[in-house]
Amino acid sequence: MITITIAIIAWILLIAFIALIAGTFEDLESDVGSQSNPNSQVQLAAQVGYINRFFNKAISGEPPAYGLYCAVSAGIAVVFLGQGYSPILAIPLGAGIAAIVHMLLASTAYMGRTASQRRFEQPMYLDVLIRQLLPIATHGFIAVIGITTICYIQAYIMPGVLQSAFPMPLLGLIWGITIGSIGSSVGDVHYGTEREFQDRPFGEGKRVVYHGRITRYSECGVRNQNDVVYFCAKYGGPITGLAFGLILLFENWRSLLGFSLGGSPEMAIAISIGIGIVIAVALFFINYALVGYVRKRYGTFVGE
Amino acid sequence: MDPILIFICIIVGGILTSIGVHLMPVGGAPAAMGTATGVATGVNMLSTGAAMTGLFTASTVAMVTSNIWLVSLSGAVGSMLMLAFTMLSGTLIYTQGTGIVPVSGRVTKDPITGRDFLSYKTPQTDGHGTPDVSFLSGEIGAFLGGFGGALIFYSLVFYAGFNIALSGIAALGIFLANAVLSAYNIGGTIEGFHDPKFKLLPRALLACFVASLICASFIYIVAYALPIGGI
Repeated sequence: MITITIAIIAWILLIAFIALIAGTFEDLESDVGSQSNPNSQVQLAAQVGYINRFFNKAISGEPPAYGLYCAVSAGIAVVFLGQGYSPILAIPLGAGIAAIVHMLLASTAYMGRTASQRRFEQPMYLDVLIRQLLPIATHGFIAVIGITTICYIQAYIMPGVLQSAFPMPLLGLIWGITIGSIGSSVGDVHYGTEREFQDRPFGEGKRVVYHGRITRYSECGVRNQNDVVYFCAKYGGPITGLAFGLILLFENWRSLLGFSLGGSPEMAIAISIGIGIVIAVALFFINYALVGYVRKRYGTFVGE
Repeated sequence: MDPILIFICIIVGGILTSIGVHLMPVGGAPAAMGTATGVATGVNMLSTGAAMTGLFTASTVAMVTSNIWLVSLSGAVGSMLMLAFTMLSGTLIYTQGTGIVPVSGRVTKDPITGRDFLSYKTPQTDGHGTPDVSFLSGEIGAFLGGFGGALIFYSLVFYAGFNIALSGIAALGIFLANAVLSAYNIGGTIEGFHDPKFKLLPRALLACFVASLICASFIYIVAYALPIGGI
């Protein structure tokens, strides 16, 4: 029993760590390919006369996009696993094919988006297209291979009651949608509020009059999305990974704790539900304290 | 009895989903620029992400017990935790990455904690970040949404007799139908129960009732009528 518990703890920690890496790279991929809510500013920029060299591939929200990539990857991996391939080979093969799908969508999205902005004289930069495709595919590959590995662990390896009832491709869809949702909610703020408007005053929400007037120059000459990734990798990406990792860690941990403490399965589940509610209440108070701290530290709004 | 329970669970699940979606603080694209209060993504994107985590937990629990309350509450708590961590991480970025104090744009004072908003708000914005009242509203919303999604999943597994994978996909579809209808009602952004838009809820509840009724009818046809050659 103790051996099984230790094994479950080890797999939970591994899943949380992989989730941290996957979440980080998911957000950075959305920065290098500009696929998220901040991309509304990239589209608006050309319309207000701000010709730019940003990549532009927001043809869908991140959750459905990542749901697609991860489901494709997990589906392909299951096919290879069924043929007797080792997981070490099957999972990268699945993620590799998902990366090809990703590159196809990215290239057609950029060309389609930019072509539709012809009336605003926004050119299609071939060097932007060519130089960004590989970073998009590689960042996406790391995120997708991480999710596919998590799905494999949950569907085939996880011991005891924590093994998932869902097949691996459905798990890919579920975690793909979830990671897209988190990346879209968390890391985007760093890219949208801070990086796109670096030449505007720091420490305030970006006013409506600034919208579309994004910064087009950066540390090293004419801007491209590699500079954006360099910036967001310092904070936005890791916080996104932390959020996804913590969600998986605490979701699994409370279940494990419930089953360790409770006698019957019903009692164990009831305990894990109670622990979950306690964690949620604690998070409210942490947020309350954090907001109180910054209100005191930054003070009231002093700009015009 | 089971067919009636399918209808009841799917309709109640759909209505809970709609209430939950209306309670989630969602700022859409403007929130990503710190121009609107709430989480920086779309309504369906956020609610579906939260519901997916709840669905995963509910599916694991459904393997151990057939107690409807335990399965549904597990989904609700999973969903609530996902949104709580997401909102807290968003606050970390707003406060430590961009130097912005979370405030509401719709009310001048926090209805829960009494904190003043007006003097901290950037002019020409509709608020920014996730203040205390929105955080609490979001947690309650995710709880109700997750409960609704898990309830639908439960009815498909135990009353309709679908297998686990099909139940997961079908529950996701019914959840999305209700979430999208609610998103149309919200029209982009909402801060939580203190937002004036929350008063539009009855309209969405009616729409979700009809949509869930249609979904439940299809589930009934697939689960009962087709196998016995009723159609």
